[in-house]
Amino acid sequence: MLICDEYLTPTSLADAFAAMTMHRGRYRVVAGCTDTLPWAREGRAGDVEIPVLIDVSKIPELNERHVGDTRVRLGAATAIQRFLDDAALGRAMPSMPRCAVWFADDQIRAQATLGGNVANASPAADATPCLEAHDAVVELASASGKRSMPLREFITGPGKTQLADGELITGFECDAFPGYGGSFEKVGHRRSLVISVVCLAVMVKLDRDGRTIDDTRLAIAGIRPVPRRLREIEDLLRGKPLTGELLEEAADMPLDLVQSRSRQEYRRDVVRGFLVRGLIAAAKRAGASPDALTRELEAAYG
Amino acid sequence: MVDIQLNATINGRNVSRAAKPHLRLLDFLRDDLNLTGNKEGCGAGECGTCSVFVDGVLMKSCLMPVAKAQGAQVDTIESLAKSGEMSVLQKAFHKAGASQCGYCIPGMVMAATAALRANPFADREEIKERLGGNICRCTGYQKIFDAVELARDVQNGRVPATALLETDTADGDVIGKNVRRIDAPSKVSGRLKYAGDMIMPGMLHVQVLRSPHPHARIVSIDTTAALAMEGVESVITSADVPGQDGFGVFVHDQPIMARDKVRYVGEAIAAVAAEDALTAKRAVAAIKIVYEPLPPVFDPDEAMQPGAAIVHDYAPDNITKHIPIRVGDVEAGFAQSDLVIEESYSTQAIEHAYLEPEAGLAYVDHDDVVTVVSPSQNITHHRHMLARIIAKPISKVRFIMSPVGGGFGGKEDMIYQGMLALLAMKTMRPVRLVYTREESIISTAKRHPSRTTLRMGVMKDGRIRALAMRMVCDGGAYGLSTEGVMRKAAILAAGPYAIPNVRIDTYGIYTNNTPSGAFRSFGALQTQFATESQLDIIAERLGMDPFELRRINAMRDGATTHTKQKIGSVSLMRALEATEQASGWEAGAPTVRGPTRGDLNHDDVRPSVTLGTRFTDSANQEAAE
Repeated sequence: MLICDEYLTPTSLADAFAAMTMHRGRYRVVAGCTDTLPWAREGRAGDVEIPVLIDVSKIPELNERHVGDTRVRLGAATAIQRFLDDAALGRAMPSMPRCAVWFADDQIRAQATLGGNVANASPAADATPCLEAHDAVVELASASGKRSMPLREFITGPGKTQLADGELITGFECDAFPGYGGSFEKVGHRRSLVISVVCLAVMVKLDRDGRTIDDTRLAIAGIRPVPRRLREIEDLLRGKPLTGELLEEAADMPLDLVQSRSRQEYRRDVVRGFLVRGLIAAAKRAGASPDALTRELEAAYG
Repeated sequence: MVDIQLNATINGRNVSRAAKPHLRLLDFLRDDLNLTGNKEGCGAGECGTCSVFVDGVLMKSCLMPVAKAQGAQVDTIESLAKSGEMSVLQKAFHKAGASQCGYCIPGMVMAATAALRANPFADREEIKERLGGNICRCTGYQKIFDAVELARDVQNGRVPATALLETDTADGDVIGKNVRRIDAPSKVSGRLKYAGDMIMPGMLHVQVLRSPHPHARIVSIDTTAALAMEGVESVITSADVPGQDGFGVFVHDQPIMARDKVRYVGEAIAAVAAEDALTAKRAVAAIKIVYEPLPPVFDPDEAMQPGAAIVHDYAPDNITKHIPIRVGDVEAGFAQSDLVIEESYSTQAIEHAYLEPEAGLAYVDHDDVVTVVSPSQNITHHRHMLARIIAKPISKVRFIMSPVGGGFGGKEDMIYQGMLALLAMKTMRPVRLVYTREESIISTAKRHPSRTTLRMGVMKDGRIRALAMRMVCDGGAYGLSTEGVMRKAAILAAGPYAIPNVRIDTYGIYTNNTPSGAFRSFGALQTQFATESQLDIIAERLGMDPFELRRINAMRDGATTHTKQKIGSVSLMRALEATEQASGWEAGAPTVRGPTRGDLNHDDVRPSVTLGTRFTDSANQEAAE
């Protein structure tokens, strides 16, 4: 049970920082609360008494959304469901809608925020590999000023980030990839409401004929302490003709990706399958030529 | 605490009132406004029975601090049939039989409403996906999906609204007809009151102190600080039990709160009744207990060894119940057999996970009748046991069975009703206890975990000559239904097969694990899992069709079972035939894969799990791609 003496809902950054200063050492920042409330239960944190909860989800700056041709800026309180109901955002970040549909369920996505997912820094967080594939930058602010840093520097380990005392995540800025095909591969113990055992974000851009890989982005999570961008695979694929052999070669690169605490062998099998399947799905959505990939390959990895 | 002055529109009415800052929207709706249609099943966002609309968007109200509803328009299940007229979806749930225990149904109806608002033409796959945040345990999802499809088609004019009505009982004859459940309207509208939905004037709230130790002597219990807290009316321990303490379905070995020692993690030791649940919780935290840890035993096979820790003094061998069955001469049967196969099998503990966590309300009425309202699956037995425990004549003890939000055997045990009765007697006020999901899982019975060794001897033509089975079950810390489960397991161990020589031994064993108890099939699952698996293995070894192997050994009309029961008619042959047809089984040994094998990859085989139907159906997302 989460118990507080006061629940504050500031409606400006200035009010939020004022509350954080006033209640220093006795507050916790919340947004969607979809992780905080289950955390404060038996078996996890148990009954938690926090004097002040500061809910930042109503701050206008944290709800801004700018989708441009080359860059996207998202406020930290952007709900995950926006990736499903904002078509322009889905086009600019093509693996994100695929990620969102696997993220918790429709109801929780309406409340859960992008900033919260990153702040938790769970090794199994679904949104972080997508953001990593977009070279996302985390925007931070405190009463004394603003700073920003790449997501890959911000998340330092399971549950650990560079967020300083008195600081808030205000938003994210990243590359837009319109015209890319996106996919998100995820497996857990069931379909909805499940934590990833492995999750993989893939984006692919093909040439006009749908036969050559112009560009690709991949990032994986759930198998190591922090998400990992797969630049070695991106480099191998970039500029090459799209063939099944190439995709399997990419999946077989000896990268030693799985560094999880458990079920390593299983995860290694999954990772290989996900790499091929994710690339096939993203390439098809990017307009792959119908004869570029064989039916047998698709059947084997479908 | 700084109250929140909440202004919101709830079910179309303006609400302006103070709310405690830590409340979730669900608490505010249920406890402050008495809108109990939406339920709490897990409190962790997993089950969806709390789903409500907030500004038109479906949300899990157990994951939403009430402050987030400031200025919002909130609609609960009560909003759908406001003037008593059910919505099309509710009528469709009624028609399709999509309500059994009913506890998940308010959330299901809300999620279905949201799904058809999002896409009025959603196909079955998309409906499944959009209902993915809601869990049902007993209705079964197929009827729920049928209901949503029916409502969709009625709304879209594809089928007439009369399809929602009763169709085939014109002459009043309902036997063998597909009729609507008479209790469905109360469930689909959220009007049915489960124990946790009930309130009485002056009602106190109960919280329970539970053991953190699997096996420990209770040296002392100090309730002074808890009793001194403002708002606390009573604190009880086993010392307050006036009569002969002890309950259980067969052996009355469990005190209503731990007496002298605790035997499993989660066992109740003390209970507090206070003006509100938070005060009761804080009082529980203020109770001081000194434990002296005892060596525990967790493995039933180890518990049977000499020198193992003793869980109950009355059973120094830790055997709760041993059921032996002897028919013929099994050794002679094995000697005659062409093939003898021995294998071992194990099954695990399973939680019932009914959507309704345990809850109960108790009061002493004007005639001094101690009354307990709870979703008990066995009220008459509970009444008799409680009368002895609280030293009252049976005429002064009353049990009222509230709607059971799923039971599956898990609500047969009088696990908390004794505490409620005692607190009602102590305070002379109504008291209510509502378990959290975690409390339900930690403290109530599970399916018996089992280890089975099975030896079967067969002839080349498939006739079983002998069966010898030994099953050891972890009964956990208390007897509960173990004796009956062991008996049923033994009776059904040899299956519906005519086997001349049988030796069966089932053992229920005390350990310091969570108690095991009744669970659907009541022991048959554990032994049948071994027997039926072994038959498949034998079919492989003999190169025989597994259906044929079963037919050869099937009991026929007039058979006598291994426990000497005469059976007039045996439906096994019909069941086998129906199963064979429905599964698309192609005759042959299990090792054979013929060219027309239809039991794999045919239309009725479910494809692997995937998500994203909405990407193909929604024009919006087509554009996004």
